[in-house]
Amino acid sequence: MQNTGISRYTMSFGLALAIASVVNGLLVVAKEKIPAVLAGMQKLTGHHWVSHSVIILGLFGILGWLFAQANGGQGIKLTVNRLIGTLVAGVGTGGLIILGFYLAGD
Amino acid sequence: MSGLCNFVKHRGVNRQRTFYCVMNELVLMAHVMFGVACLVTTLWVFVDVLNVSESNQGRIRKMSCAAAVFMWLAFLIAGYWYVFSYPVDKAIILKGPWPFAHSFFMETKEHLVILLLMLATYLPIAAAGNLSANKDARRVVLWVAGMVVLLALMMEGDGATIAMGVKMGLLAGQN
Repeated sequence: MQNTGISRYTMSFGLALAIASVVNGLLVVAKEKIPAVLAGMQKLTGHHWVSHSVIILGLFGILGWLFAQANGGQGIKLTVNRLIGTLVAGVGTGGLIILGFYLAGD
Repeated sequence: MSGLCNFVKHRGVNRQRTFYCVMNELVLMAHVMFGVACLVTTLWVFVDVLNVSESNQGRIRKMSCAAAVFMWLAFLIAGYWYVFSYPVDKAIILKGPWPFAHSFFMETKEHLVILLLMLATYLPIAAAGNLSANKDARRVVLWVAGMVVLLALMMEGDGATIAMGVKMGLLAGQN
């Protein structure tokens, strides 16, 4: 793997963002389709959307930090093209899951 | 704002409700203002990165941080408003002729905004590198800033449609 000159945090949090985006979309489908998930999220903070935000933002922060600790503290290794591709695909997929779900359900 | 107060007072609403109404509108306007501020600063970052040099790198980093701060403020204010004030608007929208303003536009907005918040938070992380010397770092920032701008524009459009949904519901209620 060549040295891209990009910081480990840019790599790690970029990958974490892509994963958290897809999980965000899947969580929307889960809470709308499974009443127990919605009820659990409602119970967690008092409002399902607050719980949803806390879970996704927490996942983004934790995954980003974990990926930055990989490879003996050097962080996860990716090419820049792979990072950008993963980032755009993750955000795009997460967004399309949400739009598609409500478009189909409306 | 005094115009709004007078309007509410002339409608025979008491002082406490007038105060609540004005505060509610102020909170909503602050949400929109910080959202637009995030959009504008991110666009600034995008253009500055296209013309990056040693001299504007510091400004790019500061503007990236400002975009993230503006987005967090917009998000937190919106969260407060959504949890405590929106149920009234929601009921008006769902009884009106534009129920999709809630069932599609608000439902997508409240979840897509989390993507926007993460992207805006990521922007200063991506912009922390040496952008003038590193083409790869510039590409990452340009992609992230581009996605922030597109998503922020989408959120503004969604917000406008939701506001129209309330207006249509109120107008339908008067007839």
